[in-house]
Order: sequence, then structure tokens, then C-alpha cells
Amino acid sequence: MKGYHDIVGDGGSRVLEQVAEQRGRISEGLAGVRHLVAIGSGKGGVGKSTMTLHLAGALRARGLRIAILDADFNGPSQARMAGVQGALFVPGNNKAALPRTKNGIGVFSMGSLIPESDALDFESTARGESHTWRATREFALLGEILGAFEWGALDLLMVDLPPGAERTVQYADFLGPRTSFVLVTIPSEVARGVVARSVAALSKGPNRLLGYVENMSGYYCRDCRAVKPLFVSPEISSLGIPCLGTVPFDPELARHCDRGMPLTDLPGRPVGQALEQVAQQLLDRLDPTPEASR
Amino acid sequence: MKFLCVPCDTPMQLQNVAPPERGSLSVVYACPACGYEMAMLTNAYETQVVQSLGVRIGPAENGANTAAKTGSGCPFVSMIPATATDGAAVQQPPRDADAVRWTAAAEARLANIPSFVRPMAKTGIEQFARERGSAEIDEKMLDAAREFFGM
Repeated sequence: MKGYHDIVGDGGSRVLEQVAEQRGRISEGLAGVRHLVAIGSGKGGVGKSTMTLHLAGALRARGLRIAILDADFNGPSQARMAGVQGALFVPGNNKAALPRTKNGIGVFSMGSLIPESDALDFESTARGESHTWRATREFALLGEILGAFEWGALDLLMVDLPPGAERTVQYADFLGPRTSFVLVTIPSEVARGVVARSVAALSKGPNRLLGYVENMSGYYCRDCRAVKPLFVSPEISSLGIPCLGTVPFDPELARHCDRGMPLTDLPGRPVGQALEQVAQQLLDRLDPTPEASR
Repeated sequence: MKFLCVPCDTPMQLQNVAPPERGSLSVVYACPACGYEMAMLTNAYETQVVQSLGVRIGPAENGANTAAKTGSGCPFVSMIPATATDGAAVQQPPRDADAVRWTAAAEARLANIPSFVRPMAKTGIEQFARERGSAEIDEKMLDAAREFFGM
């Protein structure tokens, strides 16, 4: 009797063929993207989205062509922070044009589509059993977004990842080996411990770990005009990957994020200088040669 | 998943797929050698797994009569206003003085974008056109919107 692998084709269901077509559309959509960089952590609330947006801004200010994909479908924050909430989606020639920030960064975020008063929900025939299918559905959606928007010619596509060490690895698997990772942590052992798990998990795969950024590394006191300690963690363990820089917390930056204002409105602040340095470190670590499609 | 007619040792071929009913798909396969037919009846979890892949079971679009749509439409249709239930562009006859007509070429471009952004895109472009005193959306209007929004 024939086995599965003895039979050519699938008898007409076309499921595998369609999945392959989806992968083809993703590759085609990202063909003009030189560097694919995912900003993750594993830990939530450490400032991945803030780091993504403001690093994108710093790189854009250097003349690079940048876009952001907010892959945190369940807690999208880029739309608000980048000022593209309620942005108009315009049909291009074959795909949808990306909404852009005032400084020309293309941004896709579910926050442009779904109001903050609502949560992402999928139609389902198996309601109440979402643990069995939800992740698959979200990755199919990610694939559709990658394949159906005009990413165009980019120097960097920055993917703002959701929290979760296991999710970080799932994104690495989905986005493929050409995707490099930057991890964000804060100076606490709790956060560092979770990020260390992400480092360990990612290290088992082929993706490059460019390094980590220590966010909230002190806070900027407006009155003293100095950076003061925010966390008391004298003996932070090593993550075993390069540190791209430390970025202080600045209440003014948080205010800018809430209002969708660019960092260029904060010239000369330590947070801006720190982000500039991180951006340079990131650029220094990227492969200078153009990358092929996945 | 593949099906084999054991007596003939021949791969079975998909014949037709009924649309999901109460979460179950009915997929009929037949043996090309002996003509024996069997139906695969999925439970809600199995249907949802296929839906979650964003694929449809059965022949390609031009054979849509035998293809059952399982999930390639708007995945969160109920959350976005002004969308058709199959995720297709909403095509309604003009109902009032504010109605905006889409040319075939503009509509084709609208159909190319993901179903989950289509309703918002349609509503937004129509508003953009109305604000410019136009009752028709053609490709020039779409390009003007792109330029206006710096895309």
C-alpha cells in the first residue's frame, strides 16, 4: 500500500500549495528590504515599542529608508506613538500603501485599524478553544500583512515584537534566518532573567543576535538636568551578547510617545543622545552587504 | 492530508467541498480507478485549524464552485464596520447625494488590498473624494490620496 510520500500532490485540497504561495508572496514583498531587524525582549513593558520607534527615527534622520511592522497584534502601540492612528489605507497598484509618519517612516500597526476600546478578535468555528489555533491565525495574518503591503525598497524593516520568550522564537522561525534580533531589557534581575531566556532560545537557531539595549537605565531629572538611578540592581548578570547602549527614562519621551510626537522635538536631552548612540551601534553591527530574499 | 483508496492503491481526488456548517466542512473525495466516494467531515477544531492557515480547501479561484472558503476573507470581520461578510469590497448602488462611484480600475485596486483594511480604505477614500467635490473614484483619485498622505 502506498504511503504519504509515495503520492504526488494532495488530491486537490491545495492546502500545502497555498501555504507555499503565501510564503512566496512574503518573499516577494520583502525582496526590496535590505535588513530585517526584530526588536524583542521576552519581557513585557521594557520599552520595545518605544525603542523601535525612536531608533527608527534616529536611523531615518540619517537618511535611511525605514518601515516599522508592529507585530504585537494584541497590544499594538505603534499607531499611537507614531501618530498613525486612524491613518488612511490607500490601494496602490497591486498592494496597499503604508501609512507614514511625518518624517517618512512607513508604519503598519493594528492600532490603525482597531480602536483602543476594542481587542483583536478572530471569527472562529471553535470559539472557546482559541489556545488550539490562535497563534497559527496570528502568523497567517502576519504573512498576509508582509505580502500585501508595499514595503518597497527599504534599508531597514524593523519588526516590533510582542512579549514572550517563546513568541520571540516563533517570530524568528516565521521571519526566517535573515532576520537579526535586538533585545531590550531594563536594569532589573527579573527582566534580565526573562531576556536571558530569549537569548538562550534564539541562540539555538540561525538568527543573528545583534545585541541588547538596556532601557530605563536611570531617569533624567529635569530639575537637576542629570541622569539618576531608577532601579537598584548593583549586580546585574551578563546576557552574553553585546550591549548596544543604555537609554535613560525621560518623562518627556513618554509624553511624546503618548501624543505621537517625534523625538526630534527633544534636542540635546540625554535620552536622544543615547538613542543616537544605540542607532549607530546597530548600524555598525549590520551586515554591510545587501541581503538576499529569504 | 491525502486519501488513498486501499483496494485500488490509488490516491483519491477531491470532488467537492460544502461550505462550513456549524463548524464542520464536508469534503468529498473519489477514487479515479473504481469511483468509490468518501466524505471527510471535520469537527470545529479541525475546521478552525485550516481556517487559521488562511487557505481555502479545493481548486483555485476559477473553480470556486467546488472550493469552500475557510478563512481567506477578513479574519476579524465583525470588528470593522462597513465590511461585507465575505470580506469583498462592499458594492452598493448609490443611495443618496453623497454616494461615490468607483471605476472598475479603482475597484480592482481596492480588491487587491487585504480584506481587513479594505472597509477602512473604501470609507476613507470616499471621504477624501467627497471633500474634493468628486462623486467618482478613479485611479487618479487613488494616486492623489497617496500623494496627499505622503505614501
